Amino acid sequence: MNVRDALEGLRDFWREFIKVKTGLVGLVILLAFVALAVFGPSIVPFPGATDHWRDITFWQDNPQAAPPEWVNALPWVSKKGVVSSFLSNPKLSDEKQESGVVVRTCLFTYPFSSDEPPRDVVVRFEGEGQVPVDVTVTRPDGLSAELYREQLDIAAGVLQRVSVTNNCAQSIIEFVRAQNEDLASGLDADLIKPTSILFSRIDPSLANNPTMLKGAYTITVTALLLNDQSRFQNPTIVVSGHVSGLLGTDVSKRDIFTGIVIGSRWALIIGILTSLITVVLGVVLGVIAAYFGGVTDWLLSRLYELIYLLPVLPFLIVISAIFKPSIWTLIIIICLFFWTGPYKPVYSMALQIREETYIEASRALGSGRMRIIFRHIIPILLPYSFAVMALSVPAVIVYEASVSLLGLGDATIVTWGQVLHDALGQGAVISNLWWWVVPPGLTIALMGMSFAFLGTALDKILHPKLKTR
Amino acid sequence: MFRIYILKRILYGALMYIVMVFVFSTLFNNVADQTQRSQIDEQIRQEVRTLKNVTEQQLQKYIEDRRLAKLNQYHLNEPLPSRIFWRAVRTISFDFGNATNLKASNGDRLVLGIILEALPKTLILFTTEVILTTVLGVALGLYMAQKPNGLLDRVSSGLTMITNGLPAWWLGMIAIMIFSYAVPLFPSGGLHSNPTPQGLAGFIDFLWHLSLPLLTLVLLSVWGTGYLTRNIVLSNLQEDYVMAARARGIAERRVLFGHTLRTSLPAIMTLAVLGLFSSIAGNIIVEGIFGWPGIGKLYFVAVQANDVPILMATLSIETLFNMVGFILLDIIYGFLDPRIKVGGKA
Amino acid sequence: MPDVNAAAASSSKILSVRDLKLHYFTSKGVVRALDGVSFDLAPGETLGLVGESGCGKTTTGVALLNMPSPPGKIVEGSIQIDGAEIVGMRDHDLRRSVRWSKISMVFQGAMNCLTPVYTIRALMLETFREHAETARLEGAEAESLLKHYMNMVGLPEHVLGRYPHELSGGMKQRVVIAMALFLEPKVVIMDEPTTALDVIVQAQILNLIKALKRSLNLSYLFITHDLATEAEVADRIMVMYAGKVAEIGTNQQIFGHQGPVHPYTQKLLSATPRLHKKVSELAFIPGAPPDLIDPPPGCRFAPRCSFAKEKCRSQEPRTTALQPDHVVACWKAVEDAEYARA
Repeated sequence: MNVRDALEGLRDFWREFIKVKTGLVGLVILLAFVALAVFGPSIVPFPGATDHWRDITFWQDNPQAAPPEWVNALPWVSKKGVVSSFLSNPKLSDEKQESGVVVRTCLFTYPFSSDEPPRDVVVRFEGEGQVPVDVTVTRPDGLSAELYREQLDIAAGVLQRVSVTNNCAQSIIEFVRAQNEDLASGLDADLIKPTSILFSRIDPSLANNPTMLKGAYTITVTALLLNDQSRFQNPTIVVSGHVSGLLGTDVSKRDIFTGIVIGSRWALIIGILTSLITVVLGVVLGVIAAYFGGVTDWLLSRLYELIYLLPVLPFLIVISAIFKPSIWTLIIIICLFFWTGPYKPVYSMALQIREETYIEASRALGSGRMRIIFRHIIPILLPYSFAVMALSVPAVIVYEASVSLLGLGDATIVTWGQVLHDALGQGAVISNLWWWVVPPGLTIALMGMSFAFLGTALDKILHPKLKTR
Repeated sequence: MFRIYILKRILYGALMYIVMVFVFSTLFNNVADQTQRSQIDEQIRQEVRTLKNVTEQQLQKYIEDRRLAKLNQYHLNEPLPSRIFWRAVRTISFDFGNATNLKASNGDRLVLGIILEALPKTLILFTTEVILTTVLGVALGLYMAQKPNGLLDRVSSGLTMITNGLPAWWLGMIAIMIFSYAVPLFPSGGLHSNPTPQGLAGFIDFLWHLSLPLLTLVLLSVWGTGYLTRNIVLSNLQEDYVMAARARGIAERRVLFGHTLRTSLPAIMTLAVLGLFSSIAGNIIVEGIFGWPGIGKLYFVAVQANDVPILMATLSIETLFNMVGFILLDIIYGFLDPRIKVGGKA
Repeated sequence: MPDVNAAAASSSKILSVRDLKLHYFTSKGVVRALDGVSFDLAPGETLGLVGESGCGKTTTGVALLNMPSPPGKIVEGSIQIDGAEIVGMRDHDLRRSVRWSKISMVFQGAMNCLTPVYTIRALMLETFREHAETARLEGAEAESLLKHYMNMVGLPEHVLGRYPHELSGGMKQRVVIAMALFLEPKVVIMDEPTTALDVIVQAQILNLIKALKRSLNLSYLFITHDLATEAEVADRIMVMYAGKVAEIGTNQQIFGHQGPVHPYTQKLLSATPRLHKKVSELAFIPGAPPDLIDPPPGCRFAPRCSFAKEKCRSQEPRTTALQPDHVVACWKAVEDAEYARA
């Protein structure tokens, strides 16, 4: 079978494949998942998010249990919550003064148009040495509020955070005082919500029912680099709002879309790897049993029955609970159960093929048994085994998800099942955090569906038309 | 003739079960050994506490004697094959020992008791699910077979595809979110309300609690059964004897039910119930989600409490359950198909 | 020459088919399986139907019961059984008064036309219940009727209690024959009743059929591709080709020394080896039957006919009666006959 024949065969196959609509749907969905796994990490809200799923500090500035951004667009939502955003790339300018001090100014613009103030605004940066830092906000009504002015002693490599909610309460009150003495006196630093005041009109309604001041806000972060050892870099601002990300956040403040992206990578790996191993095992064993017959056949048939009769999930659960296997060991164990799937049809087909005259002819010509198996029998069954491969993936994914749901999954990776485990355990069901529960299950079902469609289409096209006797 | 068939099947099932128990015994040998030893130690500690007026030396001797006696009782000092053998024997005779952490509702630590308490609840849920799914699924499949490629057919086939990869427990979570919290129609779990009503009200309360898990399970599986029935009936409709029956002037309804369905029945029954058995997987976790105090929930709790004896015992029971189901199915199939019942080749 | 249609109005015919057209509406196109078939059957007569596979033999059989397998439909024509017009009759009426009571069928491949999950007795009793004439029969009366028919086909009574898979091929065929007869229909269609059986059983069944024909005075439509069997049982033979009638003649006319006049029938006969003749070479008919979705214009046999002329390829031959009882659809045959007369 040379290259041109193979290409020709592929072209014919493709032409047949396009005709089956469900197969195309399955393929499209599958490709979407592959795209998600490959390109997803670049569109997560925080760069590098996919490597920090279990890192609490990474997510600390995210809102907790926040619904997805697009909830704002829903017709029945009257109060549009603040969309959490990540401001980076400020306008940087350095100004060197005669004293040798460099004044580094970072200008961030933030357009505010929600009906509620953000939960927090956090200025993050890294640096080294003694660095005085100043944070000032210029509001759309022209007023400027100096929120923060401190001389910091920064350690290298440690992320610095200035939180408006936690660090700037007093400054906010001062800001109000500068505009209206009376209003300011009614404010208590421990009780106010600094962001609420920062983003509202300064008028008598401020204390109890503030009106949002919508418009463009400029946040200026100024740092004084006193000498050559001083550093100030990577300034970013996290606006923590009420809605966040494509799929919202969970109770640990993690962006759920990120979880889905990582999960799709693993789902693909698990699904494809398992089905590959399973099919190879099933096909080879099936052909060997059919061809050699006798004791081999008897042994394999008994093994088949044994595995067939064992309840898979209970066994998986107990094995996982006791031995706590890694994901790779789990995959191997699942394969040990699933090879029975392709085994049976391959076995019966191989039995039929064995009786074909060209096999006899091959023997007569002196071909060894292995040669016959691999040269004649398996190539016929090979295309069909792709169909079987695809059809066994949904079950595998569900099994892994089930094991993970019980908390028995591999803790070094992130799968959709684990996300659901967290959801279940941290009360997503009770608190109606639907954005946490629905997407992972939906992706499990969708991926299963895509493989099921693909498998059915492949089965229709590639099923070997053996002579029925 | 048929009786021999039944006997052969039962023997086969028993043999397979025994083999499996031995496999389990081998696999979990180390963990089981450890658990048992620590349980023995714990037990001895308990006993020691009740002793009075003993010297240190006497105490030590007592502990050692007791430990030796216990180890011998459970064959734990013997070489590996012997240990495996005896553990398997114990498992087969349902001697599961005591749980490490869990207790039955009456405080009893015996694993067998805990399991027996949970088993009926699972059986109720599972049996009603099987019956409902089969009845509804077969009816659905029949309708679909009569109008192939009609609207119902295509919609149901689509739903079959979708529910194929849908985890039952996830649907359960969604169901609870919608029907227990968002629109409170059903309780979110458990067997009864608190406090438990008595008599007829209690029975209705029980049914009310059964509804949501049952609905979730049935809603998921009914399409698969329907699709299966549709295919089998459709292929049987092509058979010559169906045409022959029509030619003999038999009414269409009778042809469908009496000839087509009746002949398809063995295949449908087997495949449908087999499918449901393999969905035991989903059932386990569904029980956990709904707090339904059956074997499934026992798994849940045992995993969290890391109670090894219960886990192993439930595994054996599940396996036995599975086996019994398969053998029963074989027997029912044989009964429904005269080609097996009255001998000759199927 | 008298046209066959004129002779049709005779009321002594138990079965009268005129211009029957049955088409299958498939996704690939309309398959014109039967395209204008006409023939008669007299009481007590056996009409043999011969032809290659796919010529429309079995389709004719099921058409007579008005049971074309989907996606088939009778689009034109008339079928009159014992005076009643079948085409256009409602399914309900067909079941109640025609199927099995007026006309029944012994199926091809008796292997699989008995529902495997019922005993023979159950199957037969079921048929009784569905028909008005026998619905009143109960208990002992029904049982004795069943036994009577078992005896008639030469089967022991205990067969009634058996399941189909317990019976041999020959026994099943007898059962099927018995079932076709017990409502005493006027016409029995036999669709390849002996094809799937071994030679000895074949002979037994044929003898049974002949005996029944004598004793019950039934009309048979005997469908087979085996000319030898036809020669044995049929009074008249109808040869079909590609959904049309090629030739209808008496046993004597077809198999006698005169021989058939349609080139196809002639080829069929010469393709069958004779025991008493020395055969140096077995003739065969080259080519294959035409595509029924898009049949060739003119005579459908023309592509394979060694006598085909221009006229044959462009004009469809009309069915003409060469003699009363001998009908043929072939230009050459008609010309030869005219020539002979002249």
